[in-house]
Amino acid sequence: MIKTIKASKSEKILFIFLICLSIFAFTSFFLLKNKCLFVEKNNLNKLNFNDPDNIAVMNVECGNVIIELYPDISPKAVERFKILIEQKMYDGSAFYKVSENTFVQAGDIEYGNINNLDYSKIGSGKSGMGLLKSELSNDFKFTEGSVGFARATEFNTEDSEFFITLKEIPIYQGEYTPIGKVVYGLDILTKIKTGNKVFYVLRPDYIKTFRMFNSN
Amino acid sequence: MKILFLFILIFHISHVNADEIYNLIKIPNLEIYKLKNDNNIRYLSAKDNFKIGVNKNISCDKVNINNLNSKFPLIEKNLNRYNSNFLKKIKLKYIVFCENLFISEINTGGIPNHKNRTLILDINFNKKYFERMMHHEIFHMIQNTHIEYFDEDKFSSFNLTSFNYAECSTCSDRLNLDLYEKTDGFLTEYSKSIPSEDMAEIFSFLMTDKEIIEYKINSDKILNNKVNFIKLILAKIDKNIL
Repeated sequence: MIKTIKASKSEKILFIFLICLSIFAFTSFFLLKNKCLFVEKNNLNKLNFNDPDNIAVMNVECGNVIIELYPDISPKAVERFKILIEQKMYDGSAFYKVSENTFVQAGDIEYGNINNLDYSKIGSGKSGMGLLKSELSNDFKFTEGSVGFARATEFNTEDSEFFITLKEIPIYQGEYTPIGKVVYGLDILTKIKTGNKVFYVLRPDYIKTFRMFNSN
Repeated sequence: MKILFLFILIFHISHVNADEIYNLIKIPNLEIYKLKNDNNIRYLSAKDNFKIGVNKNISCDKVNINNLNSKFPLIEKNLNRYNSNFLKKIKLKYIVFCENLFISEINTGGIPNHKNRTLILDINFNKKYFERMMHHEIFHMIQNTHIEYFDEDKFSSFNLTSFNYAECSTCSDRLNLDLYEKTDGFLTEYSKSIPSEDMAEIFSFLMTDKEIIEYKINSDKILNNKVNFIKLILAKIDKNIL
């Protein structure tokens, strides 16, 4: 015959404490895992722009990043950028080069698409549209949220890759072709997965869609 | 404990700061020393040791900032002699300061790299030759960016037919940088290593001790030919440089 043993008061308290602790740990795990939890989403329907033809919307895991393009500063680069967006060539493009709180880089059409990542060649891919001449501006300051065309060591090698600065980088002034500036959603970019001390990110985050504002 | 120490040591040695400057000129662990200058040159300093190049054969240590502060006025004075237009032509934009610069385990004063528009300078290089060393390295950038002008065969033909340069600058023991009393076509022992070092030595003396060279060439025909050769080419690149 099994004898029923009544739990003491302290055992009951301990039991309740353990249950509370496990609930807290369980919910915390899912809450903390969601890196986008406290990031403000940008609802496109509520936004108005003076020059909507030069507004691009990059959708990533945590929401929409709104970029204003500057064709007056770098007409050829912006023209190329728009073509690549309109042809949806940036969709699935991985942020393969990320320096924490410094910059994020994506746009390797050939080897940097999330569906066809080639880690051995990433960063050397081509769009097939040819190289562009650098359009440098000694006046454009690469402040927080600036978008620039990436290039190889030499100038005049811009193609499709671009970077977005997450802080002011004065040394980039006059070094890279400016494309535009993030007007909404910079905090979203700070959530992009980094390589932890190294540039190249394994299993990187990627651009879900990239569209011109007027096409949305 | 030993394993922990080893781990810390490995982490310390292999620590590379993957930052915005590395992204630009492919040298890790740098920080801005002085950005705004009249000739648009940008000065960077090593905040930590770094290794770069093929098989990491170039190494340099972080700078002691007090050491750099004390030497910077002299460095800046010398580099201010080059205008921004000229620096653009020779693809020099970044001066990287570090200490104890080695290439393939050989101590050197500077390493120019026109592809990255960078000149790495060892601020601990021998004080006696330091100013001249800077101009010497800048000459290599001039030559590398205008290689079509510097016909080494023609330059070598000024020497006596019995003279032969070494195979490379580091494969001879002709390393002394002191000015010869009697030049006989060469300013220093290092001039005898290879033609480009010979040219660089002439250029560095023209930048730092022009009067001495002008005096020496009066009694040294070979040296006179070499100096005129260099002057003629430099005038094609920039009339005001000498």
